[in-house]
Amino acid sequence: MALRAAVLRHIRLPVQTLPAIGTRPQSQRSFLRLFSSHDDHLTKEEVIDRVLDVIKSFPKVDPSKVTPDVHFQKDLGLDSLDNVEIVMALEEEFKLEIPDKEADKIDSCNLAIVYIYNHPMAG
Amino acid sequence: MDASKGQKLSGMQKQVLSLYRGFLRAARSKPAEDQRQIESIVSAEFRRNSNQVDRKNFLYVEYLLRLGKKQLDQLKSPDTIGLSSVNVSSCKNQNADT
Repeated sequence: MALRAAVLRHIRLPVQTLPAIGTRPQSQRSFLRLFSSHDDHLTKEEVIDRVLDVIKSFPKVDPSKVTPDVHFQKDLGLDSLDNVEIVMALEEEFKLEIPDKEADKIDSCNLAIVYIYNHPMAG
Repeated sequence: MDASKGQKLSGMQKQVLSLYRGFLRAARSKPAEDQRQIESIVSAEFRRNSNQVDRKNFLYVEYLLRLGKKQLDQLKSPDTIGLSSVNVSSCKNQNADT
């Protein structure tokens, strides 16, 4: 305790009076900038088209059966290994890395489209 | 792997798919031709096992998973440029005519 008091006695901090919010000079008011990457974001149509292309080019898939709400295993007759392959092909197309937990849930065209459209990094 | 799995994957199924994904990712880091070869071998192997191995044979599946993980670790090493599989078949019907 004595040490603390001794130290405190020797420390001096300059006292600053911060300017009140309303009185900030003009030059300092422009530091707030809004960044939005929404201009670069893919449109839903673009995502749908590219997802459908990837799936149609999958060798085991019959392209005529591919629609935006098609289910990989139930409608296209694929198995879960094919599912993994499709998700990885989508990763390559959109330059994403999809974690296993999410990838396991993507088992239909619709879910793929929704996931990719909502992904901020899809390109 | 049957198509009726729907969305409920068992823990073991998830491990198998995770391993498969690991192999495909590792293949990406190899040159294009090796990548295709790895993908075709791994794909054939996994499908063969999925058809031949009983889903309830947990011990064997776990053994295959352990084996696969070791092989994957080897594959990931930059020194490994590819993999090949050897088919050992026992020829029981050899012609013994002399």
